[in-house]
Amino acid sequence: MKGREDGFKAWRILGGGLPVFLMLGLILGGMARVAWGDNSLCLGCHQDESLKKQDAQGKSISLLVPEAGFKNSIHGKLSCWDCHIWIKDDKHAEGGKQAADKRVNCATCHKKAEKEYLQGLHSKMIMKGTERAANCFECHGKHNILPRKNPKSMVHISIIDKTCTRCHSDIPFVKEHGLGEAMPKEEFRKSVHGKTGEVTCTSCHGSHDLRSLIDPKSSIFRSNIPHTCGGCHPDITKQFIESIHGVLAARGRSDSPTCTNCHGFHGIKAKVDPDSPVNEKRIAKTTCPQCHAAERITKAYKLTTKTVQTYYDSFHGLSYRGGDTFSANCASCHGIHDIRPSSDPKSMIHKDNLQKTCGRCHPGASENFAKSKMHAVASIAGDEFGDKVVGWVRIVYILLIVAVIGGLTFFNFMDWLRKTIDRAH
Amino acid sequence: MMKKYLRMTLNERIQHLNLFINFTILVITGFTLKYPEAFWSSSISDVAMGMTYRGLLHRLSGVAVLTLGGYHILYLLFTERGRGILKDMIPQWKDAKDLLETLKNNFFINRPAKAIKMGRFNFREKLEYLGLIWGTTVMMVTGFILWFKTEWMTFFPMWTWEVAQAVHFYEAILATLTIIVWHLYSVVWNPDVYPMSWAWITGDLTEHEMELEHGLELEKIKAQEKGELKEFTEAAAMGGGRVYAVRREKVEEGGEKGSSLRRFYRIIQGFNETIKNWKGT
Repeated sequence: MKGREDGFKAWRILGGGLPVFLMLGLILGGMARVAWGDNSLCLGCHQDESLKKQDAQGKSISLLVPEAGFKNSIHGKLSCWDCHIWIKDDKHAEGGKQAADKRVNCATCHKKAEKEYLQGLHSKMIMKGTERAANCFECHGKHNILPRKNPKSMVHISIIDKTCTRCHSDIPFVKEHGLGEAMPKEEFRKSVHGKTGEVTCTSCHGSHDLRSLIDPKSSIFRSNIPHTCGGCHPDITKQFIESIHGVLAARGRSDSPTCTNCHGFHGIKAKVDPDSPVNEKRIAKTTCPQCHAAERITKAYKLTTKTVQTYYDSFHGLSYRGGDTFSANCASCHGIHDIRPSSDPKSMIHKDNLQKTCGRCHPGASENFAKSKMHAVASIAGDEFGDKVVGWVRIVYILLIVAVIGGLTFFNFMDWLRKTIDRAH
Repeated sequence: MMKKYLRMTLNERIQHLNLFINFTILVITGFTLKYPEAFWSSSISDVAMGMTYRGLLHRLSGVAVLTLGGYHILYLLFTERGRGILKDMIPQWKDAKDLLETLKNNFFINRPAKAIKMGRFNFREKLEYLGLIWGTTVMMVTGFILWFKTEWMTFFPMWTWEVAQAVHFYEAILATLTIIVWHLYSVVWNPDVYPMSWAWITGDLTEHEMELEHGLELEKIKAQEKGELKEFTEAAAMGGGRVYAVRREKVEEGGEKGSSLRRFYRIIQGFNETIKNWKGT
């Protein structure tokens, strides 16, 4: 790999001088080579659709260069030799595949892009020997490169996701490279970001220098996600980084949620969409309980494991489970992005703020009302007198039901049996 | 035609129907809250805003039952027939004995089975009526505590509200199961009346049904008809207060027929007079 790098370097020096030579050639009215921009000599052969060669794996590769595509591209005024600098003479094809020119170096002109690219994940994967990691032409095209602003360009804002999903939605490719889940092609398009037409893959992932998920400099590294999202949603990020979730996530707690844990990533939906995990009908069913009903997390943070269950059994939770959106869910009392622990005086559930929080739905909520214990199960084993009373009432009533209904059923069954027997005789 | 005995007047049947409808609504809307994911809850939870209107409907029906209860008390106190019902509904020592004898019959302890003659309201009905009073009172009190939680919790701690919540739920189970096990046995599954006792629709019982369930009452009515029992007023000449305008017209006109408009006017007139002379049904 190092040798190849050095080789490039030597040619870069030569390549850098090439335009100068060409300018000279143009001015002097022609030298041994063909004039500026005149590619007729190359295209003479490469317009032939049947022109093919075999690559290292023995696959047949077409050597066709569509002239119209090249002429219309942003590089249309360049000559073939500007990029294909290894082609030494007109006879290059005779040497077979050995002599065939593969090495086009975009960095000859695009130095800044290359510098960025070398920082990115794709280039690192190439250096590790991954064959299909994206290089310049995978994303920008070959002979038909169009400027980024051109709506037909592979890197135009409306097309980038198609360019990326060529590989990242390809299930065999994703499996082979261990990229986790293949991204469904339309997932991003249908997301709230995809629909705007202003946000695309590169908005969050970066372009030339996009980095790995585990790279701390990456825009999608866990603790950087709030700031990446904050590029467009600064107010929310400001709230979030002060919340308990934001603080813990910033300290490297991998089980503390950031934006994506609740909102999802590629397929983020508007909160009014019933499929969105932050839709009010789903928030207390799947989104918060994914952690707060999870054994591992409730144990690690010494949270009560009963939080979700007690909510589900309370009036709020029961009505919510039936689909009532007027009933309080997690966010109604705890907040959304600015969730804070009850010990924090700014918290919605701090004891000084409870009356106000309850009062949002229960106008006239008194001080006594706000003292009510939440997320607690009353039982005869409870510490307080009230808990014990509630527990005993339940037990007494259950015994009463069993006795009364049992007695009535027994009486009626005997009555029925006697009457049936009488009828049979 | 078979002789029929008045069991429920139209007024009472409407009271029963009213309670039947509202009780059913209360049961369905109430248990839908407690078991929102159950299949029988889907009729409410699948409808948009269904769960929101569920609460409103539950409260409305609760108020309806409360109003009905209030009306029923007035009916019992201020009509002649109502006072009669109240008097006959008072539990007697005889009811306990009837219950015991029924058990003995059913267990083949009495051999042969003893014929039990029961009064206008037998022990089954008295027990159920008492249960209904108890249940309605408990559900009403706890229901209002649950409904007016902010007001209640201004003065009382949270656990009192939780007690109300627990009681309301368990009493609901008790009431519903009692209706299914006790009431529906009496009027549906009881082999003597199966497939259904029609009294709640027609208002009448047949002589056979009277013999089985209210033997003593039947004897009383028969004695009254012969003129042996003077003070018995319920089954008086006016059919126990079952007075219909059409019938009154027939009596007055003696079979003569006027124009349809004239007849209609007489019906209204008769109806007015009925109301004017109404001493309670």
